[in-house]
Amino acid sequence: MAGGSGSRGTVRQELTDEERREVFVRDAVPYLDQLYSAALRYTRNPADAEDLVQDTFAKAYDKFHQYRPGTNLRAWLYRVLTTTYINTYRKAQRRVDEVPAEPEGEFSLYDRISSGTHKPAETEVLERLTDEEVKQALAELPEQFRIAVYLADVEGFTYAEVAEIMETPVGTVMSRLHRGRAALHRALYQLALRRGLVTADEEGQEGGAET
Amino acid sequence: MDDDCREILASMRTYLDGECPDDLEEVVVRHLGDCPPCMDRAEFERELRAIVKSKCKDAAPPGLLDRVIGTIQP
Repeated sequence: MAGGSGSRGTVRQELTDEERREVFVRDAVPYLDQLYSAALRYTRNPADAEDLVQDTFAKAYDKFHQYRPGTNLRAWLYRVLTTTYINTYRKAQRRVDEVPAEPEGEFSLYDRISSGTHKPAETEVLERLTDEEVKQALAELPEQFRIAVYLADVEGFTYAEVAEIMETPVGTVMSRLHRGRAALHRALYQLALRRGLVTADEEGQEGGAET
Repeated sequence: MDDDCREILASMRTYLDGECPDDLEEVVVRHLGDCPPCMDRAEFERELRAIVKSKCKDAAPPGLLDRVIGTIQP
């Protein structure tokens, strides 16, 4: 508006509404499945996940003029999704910002499994867990851990991108990832135990499995 | 596990995340090359991440695309 008509860097503003919509449908909408997956991990409920995705696209489209072409559109969409989830759905689900107060200590799934099975079958054990079981294990994590682990480990975002998406410092992301993975690995181990895929070592419980 | 391995273990996570500074990455890679138990551990962690990644995906239900397209009218 303020700039001269020939100024650079305002490509988006020069688009007509119809062109803007075309660009959005072409570039953003193909992330539908990915965003739905994320929404389902966040809300743990298919109906809420669908609503969250719809709201996310509506918000993203409204704010699409703020997106700078050439920057990471996928990360930008995840940021809209995550902010929308935290501001709207989490409140609606009346869930507190759950992060366990105390670190739970170190846990090495590798040590647990390799002490309870015959090498070298450690990862074969995990491959036998079903998709539903792994999703359930992730769903059990406290929210901030669940989101950080999902963004980094499933979506492959960098620490810096996760920090941007979650609007939190990189150090916090690293700590959430570390603790979240440990909690996820504990849950996977418990699942594998219950399924009889591994046998408990002598202690049968948590604890140092150092050899 | 000796002290060297313990030290590497702390850097291994950032290494596996591809977020290790170059000089530290060199140290980790060299250690993994020399230490089969740490290499086994690194391989396990790598595969564990791949398994979690591959088992946590869903496709949007039919109808959601139309709902989304419907909300983005100019």
